[in-house]
Amino acid sequence: MNPRRFLPQARPRIAFLIPVVPVILAACNKGDAQSTFGTNGPIADTQADLFIFIFWIAAVVFVLVEGALIYSVIRFRRRGNDDGSLPAQIHGNNKLEVIWTIVPVIILAAIAVPTIITIYDQDGPPSDQGPVLDVTVRAHQWWWEVEYPGEDVVTANEIHIPVGQWVNFTLHSDDVLHSFWVPKLAGKLDIIPGDVRELAMRADDAGFYFGQCAEFCGEAHAKMRFRVKADEPEEFQAWLDSMRRPPVELVSSDAIAGETLYAQNCSSCHSNNTWQGPNARNERTRLAGLRTAFLGDIEGTVVYPAPNLTHFGTRETLGAGLIELNQANLEKWIADPDDVKEGNRMKDLATPYRNRSLSTDDVRQLAAYLLELKPVAADAVIDTDDGATGGSAVERGAAVFTANGCSGCHSTGDTRIVGPGLAGLSSRGDDAYIRESITAPNAVIVEGYPPSVMPSTFGTTLPPDQIDDLIAYLKSL
Amino acid sequence: MTTIAFPTLISRPTSYTGLWSWIGTVDHKRIGTLYGVTAFLYFLVGGIEALIIRGQLAQADNDLVSPEVFNQLFTMHGTTMVFLVVMPMSAAFFNWMVPLMIGARDVAFPRLNAFSYWSFLFGSIFLNLSFFLGGAPDAGWFGYANLTGSTYSPGDGVTFWALGLSILGVASLAASFNFVVTILNMRAPGMSLMKMPVFIWMALVTSVLMALAMPVIAVALVQLALDRVWDTNFFNPLAGGDPVLWQHLFWLFGHPEVYILILPAMGIVSEVLPVYSRKPLFGYPAVVFAGAVIGFMGWFVWSHHMFTVGLGPAANSAFAISTMLIAVPTGVKIFNWVGTIYGGKLRLDTSMLFSLGFIAMFIIGGLSGVTHASPPTDAQQQDTYYIVAHFHYVLFGGAILGLFAGGYYWWPKMTGKRLGETLGKWHFWVMLIGFNITFGPMHWLGLNGMPRRIATYAEDLGWETSNAIASAGAMLIAIGVLIFIINVIRTIRSTQEAEDDPWDGRTLEWSIPSPPPVYNFAVVPQVKSLDDFWYQKHPELLHDERGEHADSTEHAAEEAHTGGSIHLPGMSYYPFIVALGMTLGVAGFMEVYVEIPGTGGQFPWLSAIGIVIGMFGIMGWTFEPVSEEGGH
Repeated sequence: MNPRRFLPQARPRIAFLIPVVPVILAACNKGDAQSTFGTNGPIADTQADLFIFIFWIAAVVFVLVEGALIYSVIRFRRRGNDDGSLPAQIHGNNKLEVIWTIVPVIILAAIAVPTIITIYDQDGPPSDQGPVLDVTVRAHQWWWEVEYPGEDVVTANEIHIPVGQWVNFTLHSDDVLHSFWVPKLAGKLDIIPGDVRELAMRADDAGFYFGQCAEFCGEAHAKMRFRVKADEPEEFQAWLDSMRRPPVELVSSDAIAGETLYAQNCSSCHSNNTWQGPNARNERTRLAGLRTAFLGDIEGTVVYPAPNLTHFGTRETLGAGLIELNQANLEKWIADPDDVKEGNRMKDLATPYRNRSLSTDDVRQLAAYLLELKPVAADAVIDTDDGATGGSAVERGAAVFTANGCSGCHSTGDTRIVGPGLAGLSSRGDDAYIRESITAPNAVIVEGYPPSVMPSTFGTTLPPDQIDDLIAYLKSL
Repeated sequence: MTTIAFPTLISRPTSYTGLWSWIGTVDHKRIGTLYGVTAFLYFLVGGIEALIIRGQLAQADNDLVSPEVFNQLFTMHGTTMVFLVVMPMSAAFFNWMVPLMIGARDVAFPRLNAFSYWSFLFGSIFLNLSFFLGGAPDAGWFGYANLTGSTYSPGDGVTFWALGLSILGVASLAASFNFVVTILNMRAPGMSLMKMPVFIWMALVTSVLMALAMPVIAVALVQLALDRVWDTNFFNPLAGGDPVLWQHLFWLFGHPEVYILILPAMGIVSEVLPVYSRKPLFGYPAVVFAGAVIGFMGWFVWSHHMFTVGLGPAANSAFAISTMLIAVPTGVKIFNWVGTIYGGKLRLDTSMLFSLGFIAMFIIGGLSGVTHASPPTDAQQQDTYYIVAHFHYVLFGGAILGLFAGGYYWWPKMTGKRLGETLGKWHFWVMLIGFNITFGPMHWLGLNGMPRRIATYAEDLGWETSNAIASAGAMLIAIGVLIFIINVIRTIRSTQEAEDDPWDGRTLEWSIPSPPPVYNFAVVPQVKSLDDFWYQKHPELLHDERGEHADSTEHAAEEAHTGGSIHLPGMSYYPFIVALGMTLGVAGFMEVYVEIPGTGGQFPWLSAIGIVIGMFGIMGWTFEPVSEEGGH
């Protein structure tokens, strides 16, 4: 039985309960980005209205009770000319005491009714207001992964939604408790690891809404922010389409150099190729693999999933909604992420930071590369060649190696990064051994390396021909 | 009865002065003093933690302390103020005043009482040692799983927290049993339940709440400690554990805990107001009943701390209604307090000012509480500074001001000297104003979107002015506390002695000398009515107002007794020893092991020492006669 059926549709009606909207409260806060007033969507609007309704009741009670208290203190204070006699010894008054028990009950009932109507009314998106957009948000210490199910689009920390359409956020956490909160659009909902929560909201105005994790989640909790970008529906669709188009040709020499650095240093944790479509689904599996690796909890080789950087150059902020995205800020971030966001995992765990292997030039080139990651225009001729189809098997394999982040953990020389260096691999085993090492990495663990670090999902995420190409490439090293 | 011969392991302290007499004391008044002094020292520790927090938040993007340190500070500030300040300060007043107000010579179990104090002291020291042994706990005073798991809190801090709170829980449990039994069994003849002072009623309700709530948190803390030390999976979602289970257990304890913190202060205020108004408490039965109802209903509201967890609309609606209902008895108390002063002749001494301040601030905290009793509005307020403002109005504006009211009220009884009134009034006004400057703007900050527990904030959010004001207010509170300390020092140095009954009191503690003799009452009083001492002084009122027969001559017929023939429990070192052994035993769970040579096994040597000391203490305690003069 759905109790909702027995309750009136209160979203529009609750407004009648509020005779006066406190102009002062609303007006002076329109500008504050995370204010719970001056809201821009029906959920937050109703919550603010309900608050203001309760606030006025509380204000009246406040004035009456504090007034009675202050009046009594002033009126009945002992004066200088007190004769020392006792005041009337009143022990109580049953009638009065019954009255001041019942009156609060009535007042609270007046608050309880719209409260419960609103609770049921806000439980999920309404079924009669058009299609609902599903967005999956996965909270991590201390950033947000955003996926549009069925759209093959993955991004991070900036959530695009269409204006005027109900959005149902499905909330997951892969580590600890978090809470998803965009004050201008809706009250918060906690995210429980091992469980799923859903939160519906709608933005009625286009804008860039501030959000922040509201449940204490560890060292960098204060800097786990994000933005919701509400676009007009056609803009939103255009953005969604653009996220499935390939990136533009790199222009600057810094960016071209940065691409190689990215493949070597960043790509094992950050993917930037989910525009390829099917790989957007692989992204999910890949992160699952990384989580498995992390949960194996092997000292020193913890691998965390990291924000997806596809078309990163189109974003407006950096570091989970922390600072404006530009060359200077990005260089600052890459050079020392801890300086911008103390406690973040990248500084602790990523190989280039542990090895202190990034030079100032590297940082500049990486930033330039990332800023040039933008989709081609909609009318551009789309070159579907992602490097994995043309050329020889070895060349194609090299592209697979880069695109899947192998280089983040494996050098093509002799050096150990996280996994073994791969030079001379053909002398260590035959094709079957290499294939097994790719698809079932735990089958044979080279001595001195911990198990369960390498994702064991490549066998399912890579098409067989790409694995063949990869093996050809690896044998050439 | 045959006396079992058992060798005296440690002879009792014999002197009533000096360090050993304090370690061996079982006198409820001395134990009350120990509780009070310790709790006040922790009040300063928690206050310094708060000042650093306010210093860090005084401006945007500040780096006075790192996020790591900040998280330790707010965790320890909350833990300290709840477990090491308000609870033990209430215990100090319970210890001092429960026997005096019910006409008893001590609590029911004097040695258990000493054990409570020493367990509290050792547990609190153990908890704070974490600052020097690798870092204090940093997962919040609420310790939400699974952030507290060893994966996400790899240091020892959270283990210190879980084990330290477990020891403190034992202290609280022992104290609660003691006071329940004392209040139910040791009242002076004639003092029926409805003739007990309201403070005693609130002590009873608080003790019952503690006795029932502490086991809940104990279960949760043991599970947490096991998760951390022995890799169990109670709260680990990856192995089927449930982090939300922790929240239910924590708040099933945590909400009654809120009333454990506030009811003693409500009891104090209910004593102070009638005395300084020279009128009886308005509607005594209603105030008592409201307190008991709050204690009962406090068990049905815990999930209002979890409105944003996503328990579903039915649960949220039910807990919204129960939460709103608990405002009714709270309102009854406030209205009855106002009714008490209405028509009185108010003497606005410091204690009265603090009590009035309590009411004024508690009204604000109560009303802001109603705004988040509604889950849809709470969805915007939960985990923001609005909540921080709310519970500081209840716990600082409420509990702390109430405890200061009790301090000024009972100081002459406890020490034989009055605290200075002039400095006292400065203390009150500076603290009240500082308090409002600190916590008033936080309502605004929360509604303006500032989450709790953030180590820093950006400057583009409109939070800077309010935060700067709040930090300035915190300095004012600190000045208020300094004035209090100066007042205490000056009072201790002063030679002016207080009268036995300086405020024209109503209850039995004012009928005996200040400070009271070790045996409290030379003659156990015969109680005829509520506020018995007042009616001894004003027998005509009893007859006039109540129509009851007053036999004042019987009261007056007190014979001069000396303490010589009064049986008092002898001093004992064993409570101290048992508490020490327990603390060491628990501390050994911090994986304080030594390798057993040749086996690869590990030996928990610290726990072993603790167990040996604890067993020794229990044996000694068991066979120690209650007192030297006969024993039973």
